[in-house]
Amino acid sequence: MRAAHVRRLGSHLMWVAALAVACPAAGAKVFPYRALRRIALPAAANVSALAVVGRDLYAGQGDSVSLYAPTGALRIAHRRLDGTVRALAAVDGQIVVAVSHPSSLEFLAAKSLRVLRQRALIAASPSALLYDPAVHMLFIEDRAGHTVTRLDPQTGRTLGSVRLAGALGQMAANGRGTLYVANATHDAIDVTDARGMRYEGAIPLRRCHAPHALAMDTVGRRLFVACSNGRALIIDADLGFTFVRLPIQRGGHLRAAFAYRPLGPHGWKGGVFIAGGGALSAIQMQAFVRYRAGGRLPVTRRITALALAPAAGVLWLAVARGGGKPAALWRLAAPVSESQ
Amino acid sequence: MNRHLSGLRILALSVGLATILMPQAQAALVPWSQLAGKTVLFVTGGKASPKPNDDALVARHLRKLGFVVRTVDAAVAPSAADGAALIVISSTADAHELGEKFADTTVPVFTWNTFDYPNLGMTGPVLHRDFDVIDPVQHYADSFAVLYGFGANITSEISRAVGLRPQLFGTLYLEPETAGWGRPGPGGTVIADFFGSRRYAAVFTYEREATLENGRTAPARRVGFYLGNDDFHLLTAVYGPPAADPNLRHWAIGLKLFDAALRWAASPPPPPPLYDPQALDAALRRAARGTKVLYVERVNGGEGRRSDAHIVAHLRRLGFEVTVTDQTAPQSVARGMDLVIISGTCSKWKLANKYVDAPIPLISLEGLLSDSLHFAGRDRYTDYGEHGELLESDDPPENYLDIVGAWSPMAAGLKPGPMKFTYHPGVLKWAWPLPDATVIATLPNEPREDAIFGYPKGARMADGFIAPARRALLPLDNPSYDDMTPQGKALFDAVVLWAIRR
Repeated sequence: MRAAHVRRLGSHLMWVAALAVACPAAGAKVFPYRALRRIALPAAANVSALAVVGRDLYAGQGDSVSLYAPTGALRIAHRRLDGTVRALAAVDGQIVVAVSHPSSLEFLAAKSLRVLRQRALIAASPSALLYDPAVHMLFIEDRAGHTVTRLDPQTGRTLGSVRLAGALGQMAANGRGTLYVANATHDAIDVTDARGMRYEGAIPLRRCHAPHALAMDTVGRRLFVACSNGRALIIDADLGFTFVRLPIQRGGHLRAAFAYRPLGPHGWKGGVFIAGGGALSAIQMQAFVRYRAGGRLPVTRRITALALAPAAGVLWLAVARGGGKPAALWRLAAPVSESQ
Repeated sequence: MNRHLSGLRILALSVGLATILMPQAQAALVPWSQLAGKTVLFVTGGKASPKPNDDALVARHLRKLGFVVRTVDAAVAPSAADGAALIVISSTADAHELGEKFADTTVPVFTWNTFDYPNLGMTGPVLHRDFDVIDPVQHYADSFAVLYGFGANITSEISRAVGLRPQLFGTLYLEPETAGWGRPGPGGTVIADFFGSRRYAAVFTYEREATLENGRTAPARRVGFYLGNDDFHLLTAVYGPPAADPNLRHWAIGLKLFDAALRWAASPPPPPPLYDPQALDAALRRAARGTKVLYVERVNGGEGRRSDAHIVAHLRRLGFEVTVTDQTAPQSVARGMDLVIISGTCSKWKLANKYVDAPIPLISLEGLLSDSLHFAGRDRYTDYGEHGELLESDDPPENYLDIVGAWSPMAAGLKPGPMKFTYHPGVLKWAWPLPDATVIATLPNEPREDAIFGYPKGARMADGFIAPARRALLPLDNPSYDDMTPQGKALFDAVVLWAIRR
């Protein structure tokens, strides 16, 4: 009884802290979202991957994939698979799931989550999936095997592979056939010509250590990199030139997401969100050449996945279980004044 | 005793020869390794600096290049520069507080403090006319224009180090930003400019001994750079796979330009040439052996005939193999020659466009050919002209020149300032060459009317023409040669020597 009370108190304190960050004095950088709903997940495993299609959310947790309604209150569909879900990607009306133990690629129907196709994967330990809809390219990353493979997005057939030495982080694609991969070992972004899966070289990152998180604005051709030493870089991908450096939280294994109008049609022009290291940071895009720190929300629980649903003006966070609490999904949305 | 004197004479002669034969352009940039450990006095605004600023980033960059950086504020005493290899002045330092304290220092200065340019004599004193700072608040539209620079000079050491081309390049990264420009005097070298005009120099230099805009002599190298307070981090550069694209490589050169200009400033300049007509004569005799000169004149042409004959005789006496040809002869007569000299007796009309593209050095004694030879633009009396020609010139006859490029071997070791070129006032020609030219002398009180200058091979000349070999102007009107002072003759010889030197 007392433990539950303390937990509740702790939880309240955390929300007070979050609110304090979210509503600081006028003129300070205000984090644009507020956590509106926390959904405790029943299963023991943490959420390993999130994907958004329109306003719907897909979550991979343990050996299953679930589809949630935009409000997060309702789980619409659920599918158990034969292995552990490692990554999700929305591909032309289907949900592609990378599964390990055994490694396979599962193609699910978007609404029912019915398994449409399966394909065994060579990758021993798939770590991430990325789909570039502009060029219909699907990539799967195997961090343990230091490889990135391009797959046929319809069949899962291997089309090419590139080996990248070092500790690989998030992938990003430019919509024109170039794939970028954060390389935490070399403090660089590895660049691959995705058509031939040919390594083209690396963009060095000055004063950025162990970059793990990577996102891309394919219109402005900007790469957003989050570095473990508390720096976010904004790079002109056409020049490999870092033109903005902003402070963010320190910490390894950060992850990032970018979207236009992330708060809905009347909010920010664009935003980058960086999760991990005990916080969620925002970078506001004001113009293609102008960005500013957009506030920070402390998140004491470990963040395991992040997804933006700009159509709904929502940011989804998956937080790990711990401290006696189950894994959870947090649904964050902008206050009315921010989104309108 | 005699042997001693003779030894001394040989020594003096060899020193003279060495300085005369010294490469014309600035001495090569020293490698960074040779600058490692040298001290840079970095002058900033200190606590009074406007914010934001990139001074800390610049200091870090200087350290990364190997310099030992001593950061001081504008109130520092000039003696603080003693022992430093370079003074770097940030725009955050208050120019009024800086005053003229570094104007006479023999330590090279690299500055982006535009308002301090006049204090250093690098530009005139009038804001908006002699220098200006473009910023996004006061000059919003222009603050986009300064994102683009133009490679005005492609042959200076800095330009070569950067691979600067006569084309646009990105100065700063894309945001409307603050940048300064200056209008250096004729002794300055414009490396890059804004708005497509050399009048708005983005990067410019003065070699040691070059004449500053205020008429004083640069006591050491000076560099003006276009940066603002907080845009060092926006100096363009290209990294990773995009660097494989040569067009991007030649576009994003802001940081390279900064580094190359810094390295040039910190590199030791060539020793100043000494005025020693004997040594010059000896050097010229050595160079003349086996050198074939085509002397183009108006054969039997009136008032300049005697002068032409005396010039040819002088060249032959030095050992040149001189062929005299008439202005109407076809250009094919230049085949096999090593140097073309076009006499002031030639008619522009009759000479037509001959020798313009001759792949051998060329000296024109006729300034009015400056447009056809691509020495200058085509606007007569604006881009080129003459003083003292009856009915053709508004300006009176003149016999003095103002030496502004004393550091160059073409100046024959003459001191900066006025020198008597001919004994009697007469006709003197001038032109306003492009920034690739090294200007040696101007007409007095006319800093834009350059009487002696030279373009190195590969230089960008007027009309986009690239110099196929060296090109020089000497302002000798038809009969002037016979009236030249010894200093004037030394200039003549020094220019000839510069033109044929390999």
